[in-house]
Amino acid sequence: MKIVPKIEFLLERAQLEAGRDQTVDVLVRITPPDTDSVIGRRPKLNFGIVLDRSGSMGGEKMERAREAASYCIDQLLPVDRLSLVIFDDVIEVLIPSQLAEHKAALKERLAHIYARNSTALHEAWVRGGMQVSEHLTDGAINRVLLITDGQANVGLTNTDEIVTQAMGLFQRGVSTSTIGIGEDFQEDLLMPMAQSAGGNAWHVKRAEDLQRIFSIELEGLIAQVAHTVTLGLIPSDGVRLSDVLNDFEMNETGRYKLPNLQAGSSVDVLVQLRVPAQAAGTKRHLLDLRVGYTPQEAASAEVVKQSLEVEFAETSSVKALPVNEEVEKVVRMLMNARARREAMAHMDRGDYVMARQVVTSALSASMPLFNSPAATPEVMEERQQLEEIESSLTNRSEDKMTRKRLFYESYLRRNSKRQ
Amino acid sequence: MKGKSFIGVAELAAEAAKILSELGLVQERGTVRDAPDERTILYYLSEGLIAPAEDKQGTASVFGYLHLLQLLVVKKLQSEHLPIRKIKELVEGRTERELERLLGRDEKPREKNEAINYLESLLTSKAYAPRQSLPSLPASPQPSPQQRQQAGGSSWARVEIEPGLELHVRDDYEPPREARRLQRLADTIIQSISRGLGKQGR
Repeated sequence: MKIVPKIEFLLERAQLEAGRDQTVDVLVRITPPDTDSVIGRRPKLNFGIVLDRSGSMGGEKMERAREAASYCIDQLLPVDRLSLVIFDDVIEVLIPSQLAEHKAALKERLAHIYARNSTALHEAWVRGGMQVSEHLTDGAINRVLLITDGQANVGLTNTDEIVTQAMGLFQRGVSTSTIGIGEDFQEDLLMPMAQSAGGNAWHVKRAEDLQRIFSIELEGLIAQVAHTVTLGLIPSDGVRLSDVLNDFEMNETGRYKLPNLQAGSSVDVLVQLRVPAQAAGTKRHLLDLRVGYTPQEAASAEVVKQSLEVEFAETSSVKALPVNEEVEKVVRMLMNARARREAMAHMDRGDYVMARQVVTSALSASMPLFNSPAATPEVMEERQQLEEIESSLTNRSEDKMTRKRLFYESYLRRNSKRQ
Repeated sequence: MKGKSFIGVAELAAEAAKILSELGLVQERGTVRDAPDERTILYYLSEGLIAPAEDKQGTASVFGYLHLLQLLVVKKLQSEHLPIRKIKELVEGRTERELERLLGRDEKPREKNEAINYLESLLTSKAYAPRQSLPSLPASPQPSPQQRQQAGGSSWARVEIEPGLELHVRDDYEPPREARRLQRLADTIIQSISRGLGKQGR
């Protein structure tokens, strides 16, 4: 079956006001086919776990990590592959890549993991990558999952280099996801690493959440229908692309790099266009859009295209049209994601007053959304998270965790991910 | 294809047309031709999208693999709606390898051991000296005192201070001689241990 994502354009109101220049928010919603239509098409998994067992992982964290790995083994099919590399300053291949056929024997090996020394994160990731790469399978999801609570402090430790290498491995067919546990891991390493390597970045605040995150990662892998997703935007003559609120990175041909497509989950992109004044009654073509993607079981990219055409009308009749609250919500959530990044930059400069002020402003700008009778659980969660961050920014002992939360929550919103 | 020459614009156009049809690259805008004809190629040459020919045979220009790649990349990028100005930026000054990458990024099937070769190359840097390999199983429950390991290109010794406390010492480490600095070191160690225990809820 051919995987063709659906593309919708949503505007705040169905028509635009005539007679004035304006900035228009366009919500582009990209939805791959839902789970029912891809059922039975689950890609094979070639999965490599790379688990930190340095000293700080001792106690509950290690126990939960063992449980999570055991849960993961239970979810695999006999055609899937699994490997497990554990590391401190020494790297051990505890489970060499193999078919997940003898689950009891695999789980028995987990009992041999205990916490020890310092963190040779980079080399462990390379070794885990090798386990996956040795059985690189076209059409399968070839992924390394790196789990750590600490800082790379043995071997290569340069963040930019490791991120570049993770991207290099992704270009050769193996993606990397990362799970950072607690408040001591390097968010500046783990999150960009996963982003540039076609995987997901997760932040687990408490060890007891580890299994839940594992299951989200696995469900995501199973539901993945396309990777290497790009978005090209070509405004019509006279129309200007003024912003893409998701702040996606661009590839070398000027296309935005989007997250992988997962069955049943939409990716929301908010595009702002500067549109010149038009006469009432005019129908105007504003934008051509092109989504490139590589379906999970295909070797080559496919493209789907769509154009946006909008009608202009007198102000009074436009004002009478119903407002699409979904567009307002996505705009606000993405502006808040930006505010989080800005607050983080202020924190890095030591300006905690400004950091807090940015979060307070985001909160007050979001109040109409928070107080709307139609506020969804997602919106209520946003409010709670911003209030918690606003309060934690007054407490210097919480800075490490606050910075991670700012980074992580911004990442989730920009990429339409839920945890 | 490398090393092959195309005598005159017509031959270059014919070769490009053949490859474009194999790649299935179709232009959608009415203004852009599927395959470049001679006039189009002359236009690309005048715009600097294709580098000038380096040789002549009689009156005909002799083009090579680089020119062919430039032409194919221009057509590919046009099929993706990129304006000529942007295409020029992307094509100008690129090496054959870079152009191949621009052309074949999505379409080229992966080579199976490309990933392994890549990872192996990452470990040949001087940060990683050859190390003693560990058996996969069984893992020893406790490392022995004074055990020496290679890690990150330097050698470390593990020294047991008392039951439950080990120090990791790099072979080139020299302890301070002054009493004041020694005291400061001891304080740092005690603080680190207390912080570590605090973090584990002990």
